[in-house]
Amino acid sequence: MPARHLIVGGGTAGLNTIRTIREEERMRGLDASEITLVAAERPYSRMVLPYYLWGTISESHVYTAPPAALTAWKVKALVGRKAKALDTAARTLTLDDDATVEYDDCLIATGSRAAKAPIPGADGPGVHCFWTLDEAKEVVATIAPGSRVVMIGAGFIAFTILNAILARGARLTIVEVAPRILPRMVDDACAGIVQRWLEDHDVAVRVGATVTKIEQAGGRRKLSFKKGEPITADLVIMATGIRTNLEWLQGSGVQTASEAPGGIPVDDHLRSNVHSVYAAGDVARGRNLITGTDEVHAIEPTAQEHGRVVGANMSGRDVAYRGSLLMNIVEVAHLDVASFGQWEDPKAELYTALRAERSEYRKLLFHGGRLTGAVICGPAQAVWTTNDVGMLKGLVYSGVDLSRWKAHLRANPFDVKPAFIASHTTARLLPETVLGRPSQSPSLPQTVAL
Amino acid sequence: MQTGQFQPSKSVIRVSPFEGYTSYAPYTCTQCAEGWCMTACPVGAIQINVAGAKDVIDDTCVGCKLCTIACPYGTMFYDGDTQKAYKCNLCGGAPACASACPTQAITFEEAETADWIGDFAAERTARVLTLEPR
Repeated sequence: MPARHLIVGGGTAGLNTIRTIREEERMRGLDASEITLVAAERPYSRMVLPYYLWGTISESHVYTAPPAALTAWKVKALVGRKAKALDTAARTLTLDDDATVEYDDCLIATGSRAAKAPIPGADGPGVHCFWTLDEAKEVVATIAPGSRVVMIGAGFIAFTILNAILARGARLTIVEVAPRILPRMVDDACAGIVQRWLEDHDVAVRVGATVTKIEQAGGRRKLSFKKGEPITADLVIMATGIRTNLEWLQGSGVQTASEAPGGIPVDDHLRSNVHSVYAAGDVARGRNLITGTDEVHAIEPTAQEHGRVVGANMSGRDVAYRGSLLMNIVEVAHLDVASFGQWEDPKAELYTALRAERSEYRKLLFHGGRLTGAVICGPAQAVWTTNDVGMLKGLVYSGVDLSRWKAHLRANPFDVKPAFIASHTTARLLPETVLGRPSQSPSLPQTVAL
Repeated sequence: MQTGQFQPSKSVIRVSPFEGYTSYAPYTCTQCAEGWCMTACPVGAIQINVAGAKDVIDDTCVGCKLCTIACPYGTMFYDGDTQKAYKCNLCGGAPACASACPTQAITFEEAETADWIGDFAAERTARVLTLEPR
């Protein structure tokens, strides 16, 4: 009897698992296994929703696995169904309609959801999150040229939609409770550059600002603050953090971490404490490549790599995962900002360069000869002409020895290319593959023989 | 080639100067086995073309730049005019850089991917590094 794989969650992690199972079966000439996908929503990419809001792509562009593709890949798709309870002893999942699915192994990839800060009035009309496609549609339907928009939260997720809001002709104010913007993506110096850039582009920024309540006022929203004048807005978007979707696992015997943000601790094969149950993506507490500690990354590349490793292991291979590199990139009004690895680390040796008049910033963090983190910020024109963003990733990821180059990089943090090339970083990276084999084109096999 | 423009700042093959601009070496995508750009793309916009090169499907790319931070070689590019990513696609099997090079410093042949300028760069930077203040 073929193995029965159950994939709970149709996001990046779940779909990469499915694709990898089918790739492995095809490459190794195996019979197709049974794959059941349980997805609360029709599969789409959250990563591209900002472009849907912007209007540069249509709704159809966001879908990642249309029904025809799932049929071609021989996936039994239970779309619109949510997982309710997992019985790991009987290997049975109960759905929200009380149907049950039996499995041999199971992936938990239920992702996370937006969490509104506990502000009185946050549940009222005109106060939105921007996380799911449905939430995106609400914002698209509401926002109009001249709309006054207040964004509560100035983290990475908030920043991914700033361009779209501005492109729609809205007037934007960003409100952040922390003393600076992008508190979990860049350091103080970089945040200062980005804030000035935003203000120069007619975006109002209020940091260290605590919203005390949101009231409905004649079809608009009135935000009051602990300090400072109230603001009236047509539309409020809250990007105040995420929560993992794991409540349904209570009583299953699958361990979840008690400290925030929760998550399922996994081993280097992405297995939970229950051997037949894997976890991937935002719900998995996996290894950080640089520090070796287990943590939830909640970024797209981690979900994608997790999913592929799970798929290979579900197909019967023995693939250990080295760990995930924290990394983010975001652009607002043609200013690009990216960070890699441990970009804030009191124990690291720091080389920084600030060119305030050009809005450029670099930060390199070393442990001995090894680059362990980096921050880069600059106008898009400069960043993409230099084009060494990826090299910073390569240096952090490979851990190549830069001892000979440290003096040069301390004096010239903007001159990374010769150090990258002459340190044989390419030779170090070329044998590296996540699955121990060349990757395949992402189009799933169009036919799966059963 | 890839952007349809005569614009060195948009070239997908970059020439790095060494030894105070007295020697040069071209650097471009190795078409690595992992294909970090390809596996990172959230919408499957990077695929393997007939030449075996990873190639951006323009109509599918949304311009999210995830590939530019996923590629550890610095050989993914972003075009601010089109708001899309682009890269060396080996010109579909007839690389223009190889046919344009007047000294045959660039040739196109079937071979394993390799770090073709690491040794050269290490040698050509060694002396300069010893002259820098420490």
